[in-house]
This record gives sequence, structure tokens and C-alpha cells, in this order.
Amino acid sequence: MNNILEVQNIHSFINQYHILQNVDFVVPRGSITALLGRNGAGKTTTLKSILGLTSVRQGKVVFDGQEVQGMQPFEIAALGIGFVPEHRAIFRDLSVEENLKIAERNKGELDEKREFIFNLFPDLKRFLHLRGTELSGGQQQMLAIARALVADNHLLLIDEPSEGLAPVIIENMIDVIGQLSKQSTVILVEQNFLVASKLAEYFVIIEEGKSVETGLMKDLEADKAMIQRYLGAA
Amino acid sequence: MKTTLQKNSKAILVLIVIAAFLVIAARGMSGRDVVITVLRGFSVGSVTFLVAAGFSLIFGLLDVLNLAQGALYMIGAYVGWTVYVRPDTFVDVLTPVLLILTAFALNILWKHLAGAIKMQAKLRKLISWVLMAGGFVLLWIFLTKYPISLWDLNNYSQSPITYSYMADQGLRIVPAEATFEVISPIIAILGIFVSSSLSAFGLALRNREETQLRKMNWRQLIAPALLFLVAIFAAIFNAPITAWMYALSTNWLFVIAVGVTILTGVGLGALIETTLIRPLYNRPIYQLMLTLGLGTIGVQIVQAVWGRPEFVWPKPELFRGTGGACPATNLADLIENQCSTIMILGGRVRVYDEIFIPVVGIIVLVVVWILLKRSRIGMIIRAGVQDRQMVEALGINVRRVFTLVFALGVGLAAFGGALAAPSSGLTPTMGDRLLLSALIALAVGGLTSFPGAALGSLLVGLIQQFMIKYGQIGIPLPFTDVVFKPSPALVPASTVLLMVVVLLILPNGLLGKKE
Amino acid sequence: MTTNSNFLTRNRGILIFFVVMLLAPFLIGLLEGSSPAVVLANEGGLSKFLEGLGIEIFILAIFALSFDLLFGITGLLSFGHAMFFAVAAYLTGIALKTLQLPFWQVTLLVLLAAIVQALLFSIVLPRVKGITFTLVSLGLASVFHIIVMSSDMINLTGADVGLQGVPTPAFINPASERFRFYVIALIFLVATYIFYRRFVASPTGRVCVAIRENEDRAKMLGYSTTTFKVVAMIISSITASIAGMLHALYQPIISPTVADLGFTVTALLIVLIGGVGTLSGAIVGAFGFRLLDFTLRRFLGESASFVTGSVYVIFVLFVPYGIIGTLRLEKLSTRAGWKELFSRIRGNA
Repeated sequence: MNNILEVQNIHSFINQYHILQNVDFVVPRGSITALLGRNGAGKTTTLKSILGLTSVRQGKVVFDGQEVQGMQPFEIAALGIGFVPEHRAIFRDLSVEENLKIAERNKGELDEKREFIFNLFPDLKRFLHLRGTELSGGQQQMLAIARALVADNHLLLIDEPSEGLAPVIIENMIDVIGQLSKQSTVILVEQNFLVASKLAEYFVIIEEGKSVETGLMKDLEADKAMIQRYLGAA
Repeated sequence: MKTTLQKNSKAILVLIVIAAFLVIAARGMSGRDVVITVLRGFSVGSVTFLVAAGFSLIFGLLDVLNLAQGALYMIGAYVGWTVYVRPDTFVDVLTPVLLILTAFALNILWKHLAGAIKMQAKLRKLISWVLMAGGFVLLWIFLTKYPISLWDLNNYSQSPITYSYMADQGLRIVPAEATFEVISPIIAILGIFVSSSLSAFGLALRNREETQLRKMNWRQLIAPALLFLVAIFAAIFNAPITAWMYALSTNWLFVIAVGVTILTGVGLGALIETTLIRPLYNRPIYQLMLTLGLGTIGVQIVQAVWGRPEFVWPKPELFRGTGGACPATNLADLIENQCSTIMILGGRVRVYDEIFIPVVGIIVLVVVWILLKRSRIGMIIRAGVQDRQMVEALGINVRRVFTLVFALGVGLAAFGGALAAPSSGLTPTMGDRLLLSALIALAVGGLTSFPGAALGSLLVGLIQQFMIKYGQIGIPLPFTDVVFKPSPALVPASTVLLMVVVLLILPNGLLGKKE
Repeated sequence: MTTNSNFLTRNRGILIFFVVMLLAPFLIGLLEGSSPAVVLANEGGLSKFLEGLGIEIFILAIFALSFDLLFGITGLLSFGHAMFFAVAAYLTGIALKTLQLPFWQVTLLVLLAAIVQALLFSIVLPRVKGITFTLVSLGLASVFHIIVMSSDMINLTGADVGLQGVPTPAFINPASERFRFYVIALIFLVATYIFYRRFVASPTGRVCVAIRENEDRAKMLGYSTTTFKVVAMIISSITASIAGMLHALYQPIISPTVADLGFTVTALLIVLIGGVGTLSGAIVGAFGFRLLDFTLRRFLGESASFVTGSVYVIFVLFVPYGIIGTLRLEKLSTRAGWKELFSRIRGNA
């Protein structure tokens, strides 16, 4: 099976609001796929629908050959999906160590991955006992990504990793996500087209709750008209 | 360090002002009054804390303001009293209660069966209702036929008041054992089990959230099987167990009573969360109203079973000694004679009320604190208070943690009831008073802050006790000869005033976090 | 003329209710064999008794309406709502009995007190939100309850026995002029309802609904949400005070139970039975609640409140929209069903 994830014509609701109205795309194993689109187009909702945090009322979400729509979020996540939400939602009252520890699905996972994680994020090692509130924005984002790496996740959903970060740190972030994609598949929601184009092989454009275009990133980069049409000035 | 000081400057200022008030208040009293008042403040604070702690945990994680907490505190007291004063009733009740629990603990099996049955949604709904109602009626019939030796509210010589009084005098009357007369024991036991199973199955039919069949694991049936065995065991060896409990020393009986109370609280909490609160997670206001309704029902049940009049819970032997060297002046005397009172700084202090309760309160505080800070479940709770969705997205079953926290919170409240009752007595209104105190303590300390609950409870306890003391000795108003005696009714008013003032200055309470 | 007919059609339901309730005592009088004249002279046995029950229901309905405006429309859950009612009741009693003020001055005093209380709550309103507001309102109301119950106030309030022997002005004496009292209470209820309907439909009322739905958004749209909350609070407080005043005039004893949390819960229960935020639900709920309570007490005595509590829990769990709310939902779906049917017929033709 080539596709780790297939999102088939899903419709999602938040309360009575029909947010996703037919989103449809596939994610090839081992790739980086970028979800693009304007603010409020439904990119974040798509990620949440995959995880079951937003209820999918129609369509199918197939992860690793298993239909997951309608399952509880924790059951879906436990199949091997890591989530890095927007606004760096780390647990502020927990220490850095605890923030990582809580993501363990089996005992001792953190100790196995410790070296790997601290190689990627040397900063975190120094701040292991600080509380989440005491980290800078960039460090919080690192922690949020690191947290998704503790358990064995084959798919990472990363929401707006570059939001509100300084350019130097964004460079670092691009580097890290590039390294991650060697081991797991990544779906990236990104407002910053430059970041997305550097990282992703594939793209999905979402507009008003519908997936309107999918394809190879390099084709999109060449098609200035399409970028202009869906993403505004790039 | 400096920044934390600055950030919390307002809270620290308020605390200093309150402390200054208490110091000024204490200066107007003799030393021995101060000791007693402060200890009583700690005592009331401890009991309030047990209720408020559960409140704060439940509200923090689940966003449910459990207004039934006061009633559950009261139920804890009455359940504990029953085990302590009437062990025979307890042993009689044990079997049917465990049988019903077994039926509901088999939930997984029922859900599996319910999932296997395919039928129209409407028909399913109808059948589930019929099963639930039918099972309930059958259960009611079997329960009324089941022999339980009980007190008699209408007969003073057999009322809870009399049993309490006799037990307090050290004269334990062992009432006549109720026996199976109407139906054979086997039919009664089977009847209760089958009818509650029908209800449980009906309930499982109704909740059809699962789209897929859960994998059933035989290990999940071990707990219900154990419950069932214990129930049968209690039914067969009813008489010997009863005799054994009557022969126990009151200290051990007290320990058993408190243990049973905590288990009852935990069980009730789990039951309420899974069956009543869970369907309402999208409608927080309705949860609030539901718990309010449950509170009133709880009070009604207690009034119907145990009656309205107040009665006492005799203290265990350990705290009843009066002979020889009592009141004790040092620790050795106290332990040797098991004195009921001890002299501290010239004040005569009741050991159970003013020493034991605060000590237990502090132990609970420390234990729960360690649980929160050191255990994985505590980590999940702390994380969940902030962001439940993210915890779920990590692959953690938050709902199960919800149930656990609710059960723990209710267990703490019930424990508080059992702990307070030997000192305060039992009335059906005891929960209402405490509910108000606990709410005020929470609002003062910060709604979702666990240390806040402790601090708020302590403040509420101290202020109440100082007001009561001044009600007795009077406050000499400055520059006049008038002595103002706050009447007992004004005691709760003073803590409400504290709450309003604190909230006006700090809308999130003393230790609450800003949203 | 057109506005007039508009008024009639818009308020058709409540006006029919008004006429039916006005005629009901006479019909019941006829059933028990007493002529309308007898009923007017307040001599009918059963009809006079039922008028009494009706007055209680109307008072409860007015009180529940005021609660629904705060809770159902504006989204403020106050656990101190009974205070508005109780302050008015006690003030009426004390002003008439101890101070012996003339009736119009009493009325003025009660209205003034209502506004003062609403403003008192308004000091707290902008600072505390959501559940904390609920707690603060509970706290303020319980202070009032404690003061009323305290033995220091026994001469004024009668403490836990209640305030007795309030001299009711002769023209609305509940015993000798019961029918007149009945009509006055009914008129107050109908007028309040019509006024509330208008208020909810007015721009101010719509902002209140917006606050309930999403306060932050209402704020972002540039509304000073606190002002609107205060307005709703004042209207609600005045309405509750009218109910409290009627209560004081009607009941021989003003019991301190009207000041405690239980009475607020009664309003909550009524609104819940009828349907939160529907307004007409408050009236339906008041009938349902009082009649249920009355019957249960008659047949079950003490354990009636157990059943009431269970009804409450059942409503919360299974009928969250209340009677009126559920009916409206059903109506919408039936309407949609009809529409579909019609369109199909048209499509075929």
C-alpha cells in the first residue's frame, strides 16, 4: 500500500456549522504533504477531522488501510498519529520533561527516544526541568514537535509550525521537519508558502471547506496563476 | 523569583490583609481561646477542604461544578454511621448492592451484545426503554422482598437516635436478624441479579456511540466475577460476619466504616459520571442543573431512610478515655489513656475534633498533592485541566480519567462526611451548609487551583471560628463601651463577604490562574 | 388600525390565554353550580380555591419569566435570583406592617429597591464571568437569606417563622376580593409576557441573545456587553420584584424559603420544564410545576419533593429543550416535511 492516509470526500461539522464540504486527498507514505489555503479555509479542521477531534459525518478517513472515522480521538491517535497543534499548545503547567513523558504510550518510550530527540532539539535538554511557560516561542514549538516524536508515530500532523517565529528559528524548523520526514510521513498546514514549498513534495489546496487542487509541489511553484488565485500574493 | 512576587502582588497583599485581620482578632482574646479557635478553624477547614478538593479536581478537569458534592458528603456520613452503629444492616445490604454493581460492571459484555444486535434505531430505543423500566420495576419488587434488618423511624425505641445513643453508652443492642420468609434466598439473589442485568443491558442498548465492536477481553470480566463472588459470600456467611463485626473494637469498626464510606463514594461517583454526567458533556449548564437536582434527591433519600432528626456518631474508643490522667497534659499520657481531651497552652482541646481531623486533612492534602505531582495519572490530570483535546490527541483515553477524577472527588467528599460526623452529628441539612462553605473556599482560593482549595478552606474555617468565638465573648467596639456580639447566623455571612471582596479584587481568586 | 390588528395577531396565543383564564373561574363556577354573580362576589367554593391556585401560578410564572430573561435570553445563570423576589416581598410586608406607609409609596419603594439590587449585581458583573458570577450571586443571596433568618431581625422579618399579619389594602384583599386579585395578577403576567416578547425582538434584546451565544463576538462587534447585561438585569429585577410584591400581598405568611437557593432552583425548574429561552415556556412550566407539586403533595405528602427532584433530573437528561422548545423543534420538522411533500407533488405535476 502506497498511501498511508486516504481522506475520501469527508464532510465535517462544528456544532451546526458545516465546515468541511468535501475534502478529498491521499498522502503517499514517506512524503511531506502541505495543506495550503487562505485563513479559515478549513485546513486545521481537516487535521482535526483526521484525528476525530472534529466529527466526520460523511466520507471516509483511511489510515494504514483501516477506516478510522467515527472512532474516538485517542483510539485514532494510538494507531500512530502524532499531532502538533497550532499556537504551540504545550502543557504550560508541566515541565519540559513531563511534557515529553505524557506522550508515552508504552513505558520507557521516552528513554529510548531521548537521544534522538535531544539530537534534534539540543535546547530542550538544557531546559528539561523548566516549566512550559518559561520557554520562548521557538522552544515551545520545538517541544510541541518533540512531544509528537516520543511515541511511535508513522504520521505527523503539524499545524502552522512557523507561525510567529523569527526567520532564523524558522530555518532551523525547516531543517528539523526535513529530517523527520525520513522516518515518518508528514502533513503540514502552512500559511507561509516559502516554508511549505521548501519542505513539501505534494500539496493540497483547500478553499471554503473543499479540496480544490492537489498535485506535486514543483508544479504548483511553476504555476504562478494558481498561487495567485488560491493563496493571494506569494 | 522577583517576577512571581510581582505577578501575584495583589494576591499576596490580600493574604497579608486577611492575616493582619486574624492577628488583630486574636489579640482581643486570651491565649487559650486563640489556641482553641485556631485549632477549630483548622478542623472546619480540613472538612471543608475534603469537599472542596473534590470540587476543584472535578471542576478543573471536567468543567463540571458538582453541586451534589454537599449531598454526597452527607451520604458519606450516613453510610459510615450505618456500618459503624448497625453492622448487621450493612452486611444485609452488601449482597444486593454488590449484585447490582456486578450487573452494571458487566457493561462491556452488554455493550458487546448490544452491538451485535442489528435493528432499527426507533425499535432499539423502544426496547431499551422497556428493558430499563421493566428491569427497574422487577428490581424494586425483589428488593422489597429481600430481608434487611433495619431501624424503624416511627418507633422511637428502634430509631437511629436510640441506636446511636445506646452505642454511645457502650451498650450495643444486637437487633433480631431479618430472615428469608417470602422467597427463597436463591430466587431473591438470582432475581436481583437478572433484573439489574436487564436494566444494564437496556442502558447499553441506548448508548450506541460505538460504530465498531470493541474487542472483548476475558480479563475485563474478572472484576465483575469477583464482585459476584463477594456478594454470594456475604449472603452465605451473613450471620458470622455480623457477629464478627459486633465483636470488633470500635477503633477497627471505625476504620472499616470509613473505608466502606470511601468505596461507596468512589462507586457513586463513577456511577454518576458514567450514566448521568457523560451524556451531557456538550451542555455544561445542564450538568450543573443535573448535579443540583441530584443533590436534592440525595437529601430526600437520606430523609426517607434515616429520618429528619439529628443523631450522633459515637466516637471510637481511641478518643473516648476520661479516667486517671485525663485531660492529658503531655503526649505520653494521651497515648496511654486514650484521652478524649488534651491541655494545650491552658486550653482544653478535644482530641478527635481539633487534633485528629486536621491531621487527617493535612495527610489527605499531602497524598493528593503527591498523586498530582508524581504519578502519571496526576500528570494527565494537570495537563487535562489546561487542554483536554490535546491530551486526547496524544492517544490518552481522557474519558476514563474523567470517571476516575469524578470518583476520586466524590470519594473525598464522602470521606469528609464520615470524618466530620463523629464531631458534628448527622442531620439531613449538614451537606447544604458545607456546600456553601466549600463553594466559598473555592471561589476565594481559585476555582481550578488545588492549593487554592486548601488555602480557601483554611481561611473559611478560621474566619468562621473566629466569628463564632466573638459571638460568645463579644467584640468591644473601639472608642465605645458597646460590645458587639455577632449572632451565630452572621457567621456564614462573614465568609460570603470575604468571597465577594476577594473576587472583586481578584476575579480568579487568590491562587487561580488568569484565563 | 393595521398596527392594532398586528398587535392582535402577533400576540394571539397570549391573548387567547388571557381570555380563557379570565373566563375559567366562571366556567368552574358553573360546573359546581354557582352563577357568575356568586363567583364575582367571591363566594364560590371551588372556583375561589382554584382562583387562589391560579394566583400562585401567575406569580410563579412572572418570577420564572424574569429568570428566563436573565438565564435563557442573556445567558447569565444567577443563583441569587430569589433575592429580587424576597427583597420585594419582605419590603412590602415591612413597609405595610411596621412602617405603615401608604400603598403607592410602598410600590415606589419596591421598585427603587429592585433597581438598587440590580445595580448592586452590576458592580460585580463586568468583573466576574460565567460560573464565578453564579457563585457570587449565590453568595449575595445567601447573605440576604441569613439576615432574614437571623434572630436579630425577628421583630422585622419574623426570622424562621416568617413575616405574618401584613395588612393588605382592602381593594385587593386576597380573601374578600379574590377575583379582583386574580385578574390583576393575570394582567401583570400577560403584560410582562407581551413586554418581554417585544424586548427580545428589539435591537437591545437581540444583543442580549448575541451575548448568550458568544459574548466575545458581541464585544468584538463593538457592543458594551456589560451595559446590555445591566439593562437585562434591571428589567428582570423589576419583574421579579412585582412578583414578590404580589406574593407578599397574597400570602398570609411571607416565609423565608422564598429567599433561599431552593426558590431560585424552583424558577430554574419551571423554566426547564417549559423550555429555556422560550418565554412562553415559563408560563407553561409554572402551570406544570405548581399543578404537579400540588397533586404530588396531596397524594405523597413528604416524599413529593423526591419526585419533583426526579422529574427535574429526567427533564435535564431527556427533555433538555423543555415542553415548548421540543414542540417548536417538532413543528419545524413537520413544517419541513410538509414543504418536501408539497415540492414533490409540484415536481410530479
